[in-house]
Amino acid sequence: MSAISLTINGRAHGPIEVRDDLSMNDFLREVLGMTGTKFGCGAAQCLSCVVIVDDPDGTSATNPTCVVPAVNFDGKSIRTIEGHARDGELTALQEAFIAHFAFQCGYCTAGFLNEAQVLLERLAAAPVARGDLEQTILEALDGHLCRCTGYVRYHQAVRDVVLADPARYLEAGSAP
Amino acid sequence: MQPSRREFLKWGTVSGILLSMTPLTGAQTTDFPATDFNELETLPGRGVRSRGAARGRVDGRAKVTGAKLYVSDFRAADMPGWPPETSHALLVRAPDATHVYQGLDLAALEPGAQPSVIVTAETIAKAGLRVPPFYAGDLFCPAGQTPLYLGQPVALLLFERFDAYDRARAAFRNGDLVRFGAETGPLEGPNYAALRFTRIAGLTPGAPDIYSPLQEGWISPGFQESSGRPVWKPLPVAEGGTYARGATYGEEIRAALAAPGPDLVVLDRAFETQSIDPMFLEPECGLAWFEPGAKTLDIVMGVQSPFEAAEAVAFLLGEARADIRPARIEARFAYIGGGFGGRDHTPFPLYSALAALFLPGRPVRLAHDRFQQFQGGVKRHAFEMRSQIAFDRASGRMVAFAGDHVLDGGGLANYSPSVAVVGATAAIGIYDIPRVDVTTLATHTRGVTAGSMRGYGTLQTLTALETLVDEAATELKIDPIELRRRNLLKTGGRTMTGNPWTVSVRTPEILDKLAAHPIWRERAARKAAGQGVLVGTGVACCTKDYGTGADCSLGRIELAPDGAISIHADAVEMGNGIGTSIARRVAAILGRTSDAVSVARIDMFDELGLVTTGDPYSMTQAEQDAAAKNPRWVPEISSATSASIGAHVGTQAAAQAARIVFRFGLWPAALALWGIAPGDPREFLFEEAFWQDSELILSGLPPLAQADVAAKAHEQGGVTGAMAHAFSRWAWAQAAFPLGGMDWAADIDALAIRRGAGGFTVLDRSFVFFPPTDYNRIGTSFTSSCGTAVRVEITPSTGAIRIANAYSVFECGEVLVPELVEGQAQGGFAMGVGYALLETLPPFEDGPGNGRWNLGDYVVARASDLPLHQLQIEVLPPVSPKEPPKGMAEVVMIPVVPALLNAIFDATGHRFRSLPVTPAMLKEVLP
Repeated sequence: MSAISLTINGRAHGPIEVRDDLSMNDFLREVLGMTGTKFGCGAAQCLSCVVIVDDPDGTSATNPTCVVPAVNFDGKSIRTIEGHARDGELTALQEAFIAHFAFQCGYCTAGFLNEAQVLLERLAAAPVARGDLEQTILEALDGHLCRCTGYVRYHQAVRDVVLADPARYLEAGSAP
Repeated sequence: MQPSRREFLKWGTVSGILLSMTPLTGAQTTDFPATDFNELETLPGRGVRSRGAARGRVDGRAKVTGAKLYVSDFRAADMPGWPPETSHALLVRAPDATHVYQGLDLAALEPGAQPSVIVTAETIAKAGLRVPPFYAGDLFCPAGQTPLYLGQPVALLLFERFDAYDRARAAFRNGDLVRFGAETGPLEGPNYAALRFTRIAGLTPGAPDIYSPLQEGWISPGFQESSGRPVWKPLPVAEGGTYARGATYGEEIRAALAAPGPDLVVLDRAFETQSIDPMFLEPECGLAWFEPGAKTLDIVMGVQSPFEAAEAVAFLLGEARADIRPARIEARFAYIGGGFGGRDHTPFPLYSALAALFLPGRPVRLAHDRFQQFQGGVKRHAFEMRSQIAFDRASGRMVAFAGDHVLDGGGLANYSPSVAVVGATAAIGIYDIPRVDVTTLATHTRGVTAGSMRGYGTLQTLTALETLVDEAATELKIDPIELRRRNLLKTGGRTMTGNPWTVSVRTPEILDKLAAHPIWRERAARKAAGQGVLVGTGVACCTKDYGTGADCSLGRIELAPDGAISIHADAVEMGNGIGTSIARRVAAILGRTSDAVSVARIDMFDELGLVTTGDPYSMTQAEQDAAAKNPRWVPEISSATSASIGAHVGTQAAAQAARIVFRFGLWPAALALWGIAPGDPREFLFEEAFWQDSELILSGLPPLAQADVAAKAHEQGGVTGAMAHAFSRWAWAQAAFPLGGMDWAADIDALAIRRGAGGFTVLDRSFVFFPPTDYNRIGTSFTSSCGTAVRVEITPSTGAIRIANAYSVFECGEVLVPELVEGQAQGGFAMGVGYALLETLPPFEDGPGNGRWNLGDYVVARASDLPLHQLQIEVLPPVSPKEPPKGMAEVVMIPVVPALLNAIFDATGHRFRSLPVTPAMLKEVLP
């Protein structure tokens, strides 16, 4: 057993005693009751379980939770799907997912939302050329499995968020 | 279907157990504010803060904020009134079905991982449980016997604490804790179905059929070889005359195919399709709590067929030992993370109920992980098919077809008989063939049980057919689209069961669209221009029935004095957006987007007092006629939801109820506001009136605001609410009800109304027409069609295949929500690509029943496998503004598969006759 402390969606949790082999996914879902993060395969293959890990250097990345012990997240700061909207106000990405009918059953949505949010933040820090946008989105989201939608509308939704604010996400002069 | 007689007697009481069924609405977590997705789902733009336009799905906000929605999200602490702690159950399944099961090696579990209770075959044998007929077979393999199939449950282990469960789960996954002894080989079991469909058309167009299943009934051979295979040839014995008559015609067709004259071209080909997993992303899960004191079983389920699931649990417990028999079952239904048929009639809820019963007083959660879902979830049937088809060489007309299908049904019957029938009766696709003979055999094997999955039966047999037709076009030197055009079954023509399709037939337009599309027109130029890759183009056109021959819909509409509309319906949300679709269909009738829609509500229709008896698939006409004398009787109360029937069936009752509210509530109010007196010729022009921007328009009169009309309707005591039940057996049941001083006829069979602010009152039907029970002989009556064109590029050195461009064109009558329809087509395309090129589960010991399968080994389509920005979807406009919606969520997947195979042939010159076609297989046939 180990005691872990971490920050989730800006809020401090812990110290909480956990078994060393308890997965982060079970920590979130069974211990904290935060079931917005999904369990899909338990093998880090579908990525429906990813959360955003915010590093102290200001960068962020997604991380699967199903095959990673909770103790590995000790001291870390993470974001989950429950933390995107603030004061009931949806983010532009959440709005776009709804407006585009990006998901159907919605079970993969948490993973896509986290991955696309990280992408948007990365683009804000390091914009890409308009001509590279679709490939950039594909490379970022590929590997997240969705069985309902054929992915088209997720990709369109993310692209539209970028194109709605080209000054923020795209290299100057590259927007059409 | 299973000709089992239902025990259901009275709405609300099953097997003597009081049954209540309600949807589970979103719960609040303790630490984090959930969304406002509560009692009623709120439509976007109404009551939610949204920066975007008022668009999107009714469940959109909940799904992007991580609200508790899915069955796997709920724990005891989320359930009001339940004890706070959740216990956990582990369903252990057999990874072997050729050796004697000897029990579990629980000594290998650490002390902290020991179960509190172990439920086995021995436990339940003493409990007086009854397995519902649909799931016939042992719920658990007893120790000392060979499991009936791979993945058969052997024990249910119950743990009071999560940690113990979690450790035991890991131990079972990583070790051989299920012990086996002597080898016995697999257990034999009887076939699930053996049927023959033969049709001999009359000699002239329009003449009655000489022989058809519709006229003569469905036939099954009564004799089998020692291997268990049926004897298909008619035997010279006195018994089985009905079979012999049909089989004699069938054998005539086969004899002609075996010795064709020079004027015929005959192709005789085998085709094999593989088993796959529905791979819905949320593994099956359930949460249940048995209170022995109150004798109540609370159970939360995530299924496509809530009514059936609740009924099955009640049947299971109906004669149980007193200490574990609930007097009441509270069934609650949560959202599901995908279904695709795989959650329709699954036995999982039975095990979830058992978990609670044997750990009384404690809420117990039973959840598959992905390994277990592969091991125990229902699969798509693998098919072996032989197809023979004869063409007239001169005209290119199809003159005869014979098919023989063998399906691997796995360990339990489940939907195997239905899949066999659907596959067989779909076998000639979109074509008009005068002489057809198809045999189908659904076998028991030791494989994982196969059941319902999107496009079942049809996907397999139409892939074989549409590749065969493509090959025939090459052989006959006729353009593949032209060959299809010459052979189309037209409106009014007879299908292979002898009945016509009763809906619009749009295949001529679909073929025209395919022929005109650049993918097809530019095929030669693209092929010639391939640089370092082999380029190929393929098309296919398919039709798929929607509906099962016994489909029901419940809908309830309430109109408030301010014009606000609320809707309740029994259909289940499985990602298909059923709530959104119902809301849109009702909005067109009542002039305003619904303010609240609630689905999976089978609890909101008590006033209808519905009663049912018998099995809608197998009852006789006399039984139906006698039962129908009771004005509360309907052939079935609530049926399973599938995405493909959502628009057609799921919206029907709500739409019909809305029409009644309009006709007898809003319309009389509008007349009053317009000052149109009784006797004025405009009194009955309600069909001419229409809504525009929430105003009711009738030519020559001032527009009326919807809210004003609603207020007037309430003031007048007009009809302001209606709840209806609809039943379809390849045609809607029709009934008339006393309304407005007349008999109002509609495509429903039960109706209750409310006037003003009053309560609902049921109306006795003055007339009812249920579709004749003979309609159960129909194979397909409701059908919709889809064509797909694809261009592929294959790299010879690696066999890698890239889909460069794709186009799907289909029809579905009235499009309720364009984004949902297009989304189904995009998702269907991806699932078709997976089936054609990626997904496969080997049978038996190497397959999913061994418990070692997960994603990684099993590959579904990723975004990078698909032409995300080169996939064009086109939906034909309805034939008329009043054409009702047609199901489309299955058909859009089907032509994708043969179109890909035909494109691969065009690129490589090789015809693959088994699935999936992998890069390794492609590399092997390339120079």
